[in-house]
Amino acid sequence: MTNVWWIAFVWITLALIASVLSMRLAISVALMEIIVGAIAGNLLHIQPNEWINFLAGLGGVLLTFLAGAEIDPDSLRQHWKAAVAIGFVSFLAPFLGAVAYAYYVAGWSANAAKIAGVALSTTSVAVVYAVMIETGLNRTSLGKLILAACFITDLGTVVALGLLFADFNRWLLLFVVALALILPLSPGLTRWFFRNVGVHTSEPQIKFIFALVLLLGALAVQANSEAVLPAYLLGLVLAGTMARNWDFMHRIRTMTFTLLTPFYFLKAGAYISISAIGQAIGLVLILLLVKVVAKVVGCYPLCRLFRLPHRESAYTTLLMSTGLTFGTISSLFGLTHGYINQQQYTVLVTVVIGSALVPTLIAQSFFKPEVEEPLSDTVPEPVAGK
Amino acid sequence: MYRRILVGFDGSDGARKALDTGIALAKALEAELHVLMVEEDLPRYAITIGEYEEIKHQRDAYFAQLSQEVHLAAQLAEIPVQTHVVAGHEVWAMVEFIQHHHVDLLVIGHQGHSTLHERVFGSTASALVNHAPCHVLVVK
Repeated sequence: MTNVWWIAFVWITLALIASVLSMRLAISVALMEIIVGAIAGNLLHIQPNEWINFLAGLGGVLLTFLAGAEIDPDSLRQHWKAAVAIGFVSFLAPFLGAVAYAYYVAGWSANAAKIAGVALSTTSVAVVYAVMIETGLNRTSLGKLILAACFITDLGTVVALGLLFADFNRWLLLFVVALALILPLSPGLTRWFFRNVGVHTSEPQIKFIFALVLLLGALAVQANSEAVLPAYLLGLVLAGTMARNWDFMHRIRTMTFTLLTPFYFLKAGAYISISAIGQAIGLVLILLLVKVVAKVVGCYPLCRLFRLPHRESAYTTLLMSTGLTFGTISSLFGLTHGYINQQQYTVLVTVVIGSALVPTLIAQSFFKPEVEEPLSDTVPEPVAGK
Repeated sequence: MYRRILVGFDGSDGARKALDTGIALAKALEAELHVLMVEEDLPRYAITIGEYEEIKHQRDAYFAQLSQEVHLAAQLAEIPVQTHVVAGHEVWAMVEFIQHHHVDLLVIGHQGHSTLHERVFGSTASALVNHAPCHVLVVK
């Protein structure tokens, strides 16, 4: 098929089907896009072309920027010691566990094992956040600590992905220097631009953020690093500024989730080989176990050290075992750069999706902490003007 | 007989009948009236907080409007009411609320799904009748 409009029509229609299913089943549209992509990839044999790869790549980078911009800087400041300790160990323990298992037991190459380590070290901030909204934990000190720790874990994942495969040459040095100069200046520069140039108009504001993300991404790729690293870091440093601009965040999300990330997740799904899941189901289960056990071994003792009771420690540990966004990003990075093959990719993405479901179910069923709910009116504020 | 009455409310026709009945009962028995609305279709396993928040803000706006309607109806009947919005599964969120706040009577509407739908999925009303740890009044 060479007609560009037919190709676009097929991919957007698949994205639309994923959206409808997502609304019917109350499951994330991104997850549905991966599943629809997998079915279309295996049955219709859809393959991404050059321009789809570009849109998907841009979608992945903006998704990472948005994920970074969601951090609550106040919560991180308030709980920084516990959050950094738990978050870092939550990254390191499964990273080392998965690398060791993939390399020494499963016989994967060194680079493939590193991708496995990065993909399985993640924690899904969004999955954790949704669970905490339902339990009311997001309003408690424990909830804020868990979320802050999740961001630290993802920071570890993104830094590892950005540095493990980079070339240590003058381009990397230039990239690091550029990051060191641009990141601290970005909040002030962005506030100035939003106040003086793009006043109350999201369109120039979004272009300004795009320019920053793409500049840093270009430098990262020049150093053979990964564009998601600076995008996440830029999101983190701009989180405070972004939190005050609901309209801006709403518009950039709408644009990204409508036009860019569908290509990213459909592509991520299209590379899944359904037959490979059956062949490697044992490895999928073992790697899922490796991830959860490593998180438990690393995080549970630390939670107890920071005086969390047993139930809250177990709950925190299990929520830290979830993973989705950066697990998918890391796996796709490994496949597109030739570090892993399609079967290894399928195994990793299946484990990543499994890790979003299984630990959440166990945590909610057996370790949900009691949260005192007030009996007064608990109706959310209307969103107008937010 | 009943000191604390809870109405499950989602804005449907059945739920509106349940609300009217709940208000009438609360007034007659001088009982405390609570109305619970459950945001049940928020996306599970979201990829970013933003994906979840975008849908939650839409639902919040919808339920804030329903809450105003509930307050207006109670005001017309000259009784106080407290409204609550929680995220979660329709049945389990309601059961949890009843347990935590010692509700005596749950008033819910009959949804009126097709027989086939109810055979396959079961109805919310029958699940609540089975699981709620208090008396349940289903209004048709």
